Amino acid sequence: MYSNDNSRRQWLQRMGCGFGSLALAGLTSRESLSAPVGLPGTHHTPRAKRIIFLFMAGGVSQVDSFDWKPKLVEDDGRMLDFADARAIKRGGTGANRRVMKPLWDFKQRGESGLWASELFPNIATHMDKLCVIRSMQTEGVAHGPATLFLSTGATSFIRPSMGAWLLYGLGSENENLPGFVSIGPSLGNGGPRNFGSAFLPAVYQGTPVGRAGRPSSEMVFRNIALGRDKDLASRQFDLQQSLNKAQLHQQPGEQELEAVVNSYELAWRMQTRAPEVVDIERESAATLDAYGINQKSTDDFGRKCLMARQLSEAGVRFVQVNYNNNSSSNPAWDQHSNMPQHANHAAAVDKPIAALLADPEQRGLLDDTIIWWGGEFGRTPYAENNGTGRDHNPSGFTVWLAGGGFKAGYAHGATDEFGHYAVENKVHMHDLHATLLYQLGLNHERLTFRHAGRDYRLTDVYGEVVHDLFA
Amino acid sequence: MRSTIWLILLSVSTVVGFAQAGTAADNRNDSDFFENRVRPVLEKHCMECHSSATKIKGGLSLDSKKGWEDGGDSGPALIPGNPEESLILEAISWRNLDLQMPPKNKLPDRDRQALEEWVKRGAFDPRETAANSMPEKKPAMSVDAGRQFWSYKPLQMVAVPVAGNSSWPLNDIDHFVLAGLNSKGLVQAQDASSEVIVRRLSYVLTGLPPTEEQLQRSVGPATEETRQETARLVDELLESTAFAERFASHWLDITRFAESSGGGRTLLFKDAWRYRDYVVQSFSENRPLDQMIREHIAGDLMRASDHHDRERQIVASGFLAFGPTVYEEQDKQQLRYDVIDEQIDTIGKAFLGQTIGCSRCHDHKFDPIPQRDYYALAGIFASTRTLFNYTDNVARWVDTNLPLDDARESQFAEAETKVAALEKTLKQKKNELAKLKDVDSGVAFKSDQPIPITEIAGIALDDVDAKAIGNWKHSTHSPHYFGKGYIHDDGKDKGEKTLTFTPNLPNAGRYEVRFAYSGITGRSTRVPIHIFHAMGDSTVYIDQTKSPDIEGRFVSLGTYQFDKGTDNYVIVSNEGTSGYVVADAVQFLVQDQKESKQESPTQNHFAQELRSEIKKLESELSETKKLKDQRPIAMSVRDEQEIRDTEIRIRGEVHQLGPVVPRGFLSVVSDTQESLPADQSGRIELANWIVSNNNPLAARVMVNRVWSWVYGYGLVRSVDNFGTTGEAASHPELLDYLANRFQREGWDLRSLVREMVLARTWQLSVARQESDPDNIWLSHAHRRRLDAEQIRDAILTVGGNLDPAVGGPNIKGANSAASDSGDASSIEFGYRFEDTRRSLYTPAFRNNRLELFAIFDFGDINTSQGQRHSTTVAPQALYFMNHPFVIEQSLLAGSKAITSNESDDQRLAKAFMRSLGRLPTPAEKSACDELLRSVSAKAIQPEEGWSMIYQSLFGSVDFRYIH
Repeated sequence: MYSNDNSRRQWLQRMGCGFGSLALAGLTSRESLSAPVGLPGTHHTPRAKRIIFLFMAGGVSQVDSFDWKPKLVEDDGRMLDFADARAIKRGGTGANRRVMKPLWDFKQRGESGLWASELFPNIATHMDKLCVIRSMQTEGVAHGPATLFLSTGATSFIRPSMGAWLLYGLGSENENLPGFVSIGPSLGNGGPRNFGSAFLPAVYQGTPVGRAGRPSSEMVFRNIALGRDKDLASRQFDLQQSLNKAQLHQQPGEQELEAVVNSYELAWRMQTRAPEVVDIERESAATLDAYGINQKSTDDFGRKCLMARQLSEAGVRFVQVNYNNNSSSNPAWDQHSNMPQHANHAAAVDKPIAALLADPEQRGLLDDTIIWWGGEFGRTPYAENNGTGRDHNPSGFTVWLAGGGFKAGYAHGATDEFGHYAVENKVHMHDLHATLLYQLGLNHERLTFRHAGRDYRLTDVYGEVVHDLFA
Repeated sequence: MRSTIWLILLSVSTVVGFAQAGTAADNRNDSDFFENRVRPVLEKHCMECHSSATKIKGGLSLDSKKGWEDGGDSGPALIPGNPEESLILEAISWRNLDLQMPPKNKLPDRDRQALEEWVKRGAFDPRETAANSMPEKKPAMSVDAGRQFWSYKPLQMVAVPVAGNSSWPLNDIDHFVLAGLNSKGLVQAQDASSEVIVRRLSYVLTGLPPTEEQLQRSVGPATEETRQETARLVDELLESTAFAERFASHWLDITRFAESSGGGRTLLFKDAWRYRDYVVQSFSENRPLDQMIREHIAGDLMRASDHHDRERQIVASGFLAFGPTVYEEQDKQQLRYDVIDEQIDTIGKAFLGQTIGCSRCHDHKFDPIPQRDYYALAGIFASTRTLFNYTDNVARWVDTNLPLDDARESQFAEAETKVAALEKTLKQKKNELAKLKDVDSGVAFKSDQPIPITEIAGIALDDVDAKAIGNWKHSTHSPHYFGKGYIHDDGKDKGEKTLTFTPNLPNAGRYEVRFAYSGITGRSTRVPIHIFHAMGDSTVYIDQTKSPDIEGRFVSLGTYQFDKGTDNYVIVSNEGTSGYVVADAVQFLVQDQKESKQESPTQNHFAQELRSEIKKLESELSETKKLKDQRPIAMSVRDEQEIRDTEIRIRGEVHQLGPVVPRGFLSVVSDTQESLPADQSGRIELANWIVSNNNPLAARVMVNRVWSWVYGYGLVRSVDNFGTTGEAASHPELLDYLANRFQREGWDLRSLVREMVLARTWQLSVARQESDPDNIWLSHAHRRRLDAEQIRDAILTVGGNLDPAVGGPNIKGANSAASDSGDASSIEFGYRFEDTRRSLYTPAFRNNRLELFAIFDFGDINTSQGQRHSTTVAPQALYFMNHPFVIEQSLLAGSKAITSNESDDQRLAKAFMRSLGRLPTPAEKSACDELLRSVSAKAIQPEEGWSMIYQSLFGSVDFRYIH
């Protein structure tokens, strides 16, 4: 609709991208503040409006979860030569490694008969809703580069994050909330670059809520809580606006200054409305229970998932829910020696994620919301250093998608017989980015931004939309 | 970006090809074969990406014979009759993991065989040229054409245009501006008021609000007297340290200064403060900018007259090392070239206004910068060592000892020798003690006797605690063990057995890892032990035919940073060994707080004496180490041992080598390529070329930057881009006039700034002239929002809470942490920003920014940026409404306000003067009075009321803007 750069920019200036940025345009009347919002920035008819990304930091083992490889059971303990990605990056050709069978039993599930292991017993009951991509590939063998690649499409260059691109392309549906929220992000592995806007205007950057490794009570929007007691805060606010209006009066017609005054009005309303959106009190006991809230192992991630659902419902374009700690060296799922620990992490996320798959569906949200589950890479089907864990594997791993117009109960692509390299219908991370943008109505080759003399895009010069995934 | 590693692989086929002159029948067969078997495959599987009708990925089109003969970026796609050397066959075989075509799915066997057969037969192809050829791509601007583009042309000698006999201009700048206004028939705004000019001067030159005394002065263009007063005030401000600090802030933006790496694992740049101090000091001393640029690029190579010079130059060269490097990239050549790219990109933007980085993968699409120019520059930086080595799992930068005077130099040398000596003696004494204890207690450390595992200090894991892979045999044969015995691999199944020791570490920190084994006969000489720690993994090889050197029991595997919990491991492997591999126990000893297990009291006099001796030695060692660690070091670079030109990288891919290009500079601004020294990287020559009088870029770019710092926008508004996609100068003659003078007058920053602010143009009011809405013609002053640093510094100043300390280290706890350790990251992650020094000194972490900086458009700390954005969004309002910093500073200011013996009117006048640089208007005064009345009516403490007034002033429009 707005394919031309100028009109896109004009529209964005008019509509802003949520979280009070309407003030940018210096609107004065309340009517125009509540102007209709939609998806006028799309290149084609979108199938979905928003994304919830469940980021499994550190890399879940595909061969222990969704990629069933009988050959691993057959060859368990055998020493074989593998094209180990880390060894190759360090200049070698591969490594002799011991095959390690899955630690959890696999079964076919539901009507679709998709395979899933006992690692995620609750998610496994929803296999008929999932679109499982078993042939993922990405760049970066270490967490830092691979996480940055997942988030920004580049391992080392400074590039905008995917959420920032989305916001730049689509704007926000809710002016009282940020359009891009990262819940509990880590400061490691690129930290804020993973939700940053790089050279895109700062209004498109993600808003972090809480921080990895910190209690969920810190999961609040910054500076929303009153700095003074209520009566004083409201008096101070009145004085603030009296001074501002008096000053504005001296310099009439200056839109930028008017915008400041408006930004205060908007901020005042956000103080009450934003907390309402994420108010856990308005959820039923059954819902809290389903998300595992107030249950020891699932409480933290359950709260995050519920918040993601609430924010999505309120129109936030991109919510990233991080399952992570604050470690750069060993993000949560990074089991180099201690594979059984996957079980603890699974126990923390399985139930909340299953609730997210059930709950938004009941609310009809899944129709136009994409739920995306995955890590920055997968893990090797053989033992790292022939020990008892699995190393990073960017060459073949699994992510799944649900809702948002993706096929349900469907598996795409395949890895080799060991679950090591993607060999069939390979989907590169660039392709996944392109595909997700496509479902939201954006053509990844046309979503560009002119910076330092050239046009940039999320997928650089790569990326192909995987149409086979669409329902 | 995809990287490619080329594996050398043989083609699928081993049949020797045969290419010979064919007969007509052959031709017809070949033709049939092509039409029936080959063309359909190419069309179905290849031409979506390799055809002039669609895309030509990798430069290769397969829609004609000419297409594959010319080939792509990697050369011809195939050699008729020679399957081994035909890239296309390698690609479709999918054997090379980095060259798999078609990329998503392997071709069916039948189709693959068809292409193989086709190549073998001689690759008959009737499609001489492409049927559907795309229009030729528009070539990039050639170097010759580029020389005619304004920014690459030599600086023009320009005469000052004197417009009539107008009395308006105060200096040459005004003449240029007036000429421009006249040519457009525009009229300039009125002069700003004295108060406004004082406030503007103070913020622009020092970043701080003016003092009340300064606001009393009469300045501005009005009379000779006020003009002299202006000049006096300007000189005072220019001489102040605050000026140096303010301009250092600008400079740090373009040099993407930071105190941590940010990318991936964020490592702390704990010595980076020296560079910041260098910049402040340079501006304090008004060091010529060309000299600064030289020191930035080649400081470590420059001649120095004394050790102070040398120190300064080394510190300046740290500029090359501050990039947002992803140190744990596993492909170290990739990392090396990423670092080089970042250096070229930053130098290009900061000093030349060029987007040279665009030429990493191909000739620049818009500017006259061919790819070979990029690799000419890359050769200079490939001959420069920025990474300590190319093997560490997590790489690190190069630290250089700073030169000292002779006395201190020898002091540190002594300390170093002493540490080595002490460590040696200490080890001896400990071993003596261990032997004594054998005799003494009969329990601990007896040789040839089992010791309970609980006797081991620190965190100890016995062999039975390890997860064993393969068949490990328990033994008590040699009685020299911990616990109930030890295990060995029986000398069998080499490469298949491992032991994984996973400690549960109570805290993150640095631990020494020790490994115990027993017996020496028949053991392996090279047992690999992998240690997985917070900084990656390390492999240590131990020789088990030698007796362990620590107390006859342990060998040290080194000291590493570990995370808390169970994500660390030690794996003992029998890979590549011959003889027996033995394991008894693994010990983790916390460093820094050397915990030693309480030893049982002993009667032995010698043992007691030894023990106290050891204690003394240990404390002496730790003192000496402390002294040794105080040796000042700086992040820096140095020249590589091997100086060499580097190869063009095809499509920018590090392992895809093209031809070597001689080191050099941008050819569009260097007529003759001088050859660079064979024994130096060429950075000195590069720096000289950048600031040479014959290079028009640097002087133009620098003058324009200074103009943007002083005026708010550059004469060229795209301050970082002087290429063809940048903007043109609004006043090209003025730019060249100033650039010429700047060069001639020795790159003197202070006099340039002085000239700029004393121009009448600068002293105009902000009243927008409708005929010049974007102020292209400088008909009025730009209204500017305070930037993040100014906002914070002003709040602190108004409240009287600004800590005026200048320079020095500023990160709490940084000095005691090894910068390449996880300790250092946890300093960043958990940092509490509490100091009240100028914002310039706020720790410049890349991953943990002060919130105010993020909200008020500090921008991206990862890249060179000459112009910040300025947004107006609600989170800024929320910050002023609710953030603890604002509330706290308002309360402090409020409490101070009521301690004075003044009337409320006087207090209010003071509050307005301090924060807005003027008295309240009647409307403002009545709003404040009303608040004070309502507060006192409610019996709220008066300081609360005053704090609300201060808070509202901080949050007000006039505080936020420089009018």
